Amino acid sequence: MSSPPRGLSAHAAPLRLAGVTCRHGRLTAVDRVDLDLAPGEHLAITGTNGSGKSTLLRAILGLHRETSGLIEVGGARAGGTADWARRRSEVAWVPQRQTAGRFPLLLSELLASGGHVERSVRAAGELGVGDLLDRPLGTLSGGQLQRAYLARALGQVAAGAGLVLADEPTAALDFAGQEQVAAVLAELPVTVVVVTHDRAMVEACGRVAEMAAGRLREIA
Amino acid sequence: MNSLGVLLDIPSVRLALVALVLGSVALPIVGVFIVGLDIMPVRFAMMHVALLGIAIGLLTGLDPLLCALVLCGLTGGALTPLARSATGLSGAMGLLMTLAVAAALLVLSLSGVNANGAFELLWGSILATRPADVLALAVLAVVVPLLYVLRRRDLALLLHDRELALCSGVAVERLTLILLVVVAVAIASAIRLTGALLVDALTLLPALAARRVGRSLPAMIRWSVIFGLVFNVGGFFISLILDFPPGPTLVLLGGVCTLLLHALPAVSAPRRKAISR
Ligand SMILES: Nc1ncnc2c1ncn2[C@@H]1O[C@H](COP(=O)(O)OP(=O)(O)O)[C@@H](O)[C@H]1O
Ligand SMILES: [Mg+2]
Repeated sequence: MSSPPRGLSAHAAPLRLAGVTCRHGRLTAVDRVDLDLAPGEHLAITGTNGSGKSTLLRAILGLHRETSGLIEVGGARAGGTADWARRRSEVAWVPQRQTAGRFPLLLSELLASGGHVERSVRAAGELGVGDLLDRPLGTLSGGQLQRAYLARALGQVAAGAGLVLADEPTAALDFAGQEQVAAVLAELPVTVVVVTHDRAMVEACGRVAEMAAGRLREIA
Repeated sequence: MNSLGVLLDIPSVRLALVALVLGSVALPIVGVFIVGLDIMPVRFAMMHVALLGIAIGLLTGLDPLLCALVLCGLTGGALTPLARSATGLSGAMGLLMTLAVAAALLVLSLSGVNANGAFELLWGSILATRPADVLALAVLAVVVPLLYVLRRRDLALLLHDRELALCSGVAVERLTLILLVVVAVAIASAIRLTGALLVDALTLLPALAARRVGRSLPAMIRWSVIFGLVFNVGGFFISLILDFPPGPTLVLLGGVCTLLLHALPAVSAPRRKAISR
């Protein structure tokens, strides 16, 4: 186990999964997954397309209905609506398929939705999308949108989220962007789960697991 | 050609004008909600539910408009669980629509009312506007903009993406419930103005036109109300002057303007790239 280079945030939350199974109808996308992450640990998840990585992250956020098993963030399970609302405020999410949305939303509005406008806007500047604040998300490129969602997640961390779930956060980025984002995630003083196919990102994480046909197996 | 001044002295014309102006405040905003939630089939089903409400009113002797409003409101609320996925809603709407019409026909035959009478109500006419209709629209003209002002951030997120809203602390289920009830009630009250088949003129056309020029939710809301006023009041005056039926005239004016806006190159948003919808 490794601890992150910077001091640990007081918010850093442990993540515990036990026997988590997710179905899409008759398909078992995630199959009896167990995982224990201490506060501040960073885990990279690799694995072939369709092996269930995104579904697993969405289940932690309560966005996947057909889920069974135990999911604890910060030692707490989620049952009712209020629990899930708290869970989602404790977990920052960089979705794999960032939506450009059906309806116009300005980049500034997206950044504000993370709960800490100042930090998100500063992060947007650092990530090179700071001058696009008044643009509708639908007019951003894939890479710009990905940076925008990452900036939002950094705002969520500043607002108190103790766990970051990043789903292929560098997939649409140029080489420089991949390195930059890997460095930004590595420095986060909270617990991080990052799905990635990027070698540099994997190497920056203390723990590595591989997902295959819904099963999660730790490999480093 | 008619003289506008003389026509505007007629009480029913004045009442119709008031109704249209009030409707132009609330209904285009509702149209923006409909477009944003992607629930066009819902509003279509609501027209049929409104017919059932009118039929129940005729059977029981209660006010048909009130029955339509209440039934639509209840149905809208009951649809909330289906709104978790857009396909869930549109799939169920065909069923709801057919069931509502079948039930309406059954109720009508039980009540011994000529079915044409009910359909006439559903057809509506602006010049037959009653003070009760104006009251319903006045309430909407206050409630709908207020809902927007108080829940601006949450609405922008929900209309953009339901999951993003969920992950941003928006009470998505409750807001969806409120929106569906508002949409249902608004449709039911708008039916009296133009008739069920032309309700879209008051709600969807201004919203579709606004989507063309508005780059954010606040801009779209503003534009939709402006377009609503222009289409409705403009269309109404044209119909008075030329002695055309008002409903179809409104719709044609709104439809042509919306079409033109979509056909013209995007002048107001020069940086905007083509967005595939
Ligand atoms: N909405 C859905 N409906 C049905 N099956 C789905 C849906 N989303 C994903 N799946 C299936 O679930 C499996 C896991 O998907 P996903 O978690 O997205 O994989 P990964 O992120 O590892 O590429 C895949 O076989 C995929 O086809
Ligand atoms: Mg995935």
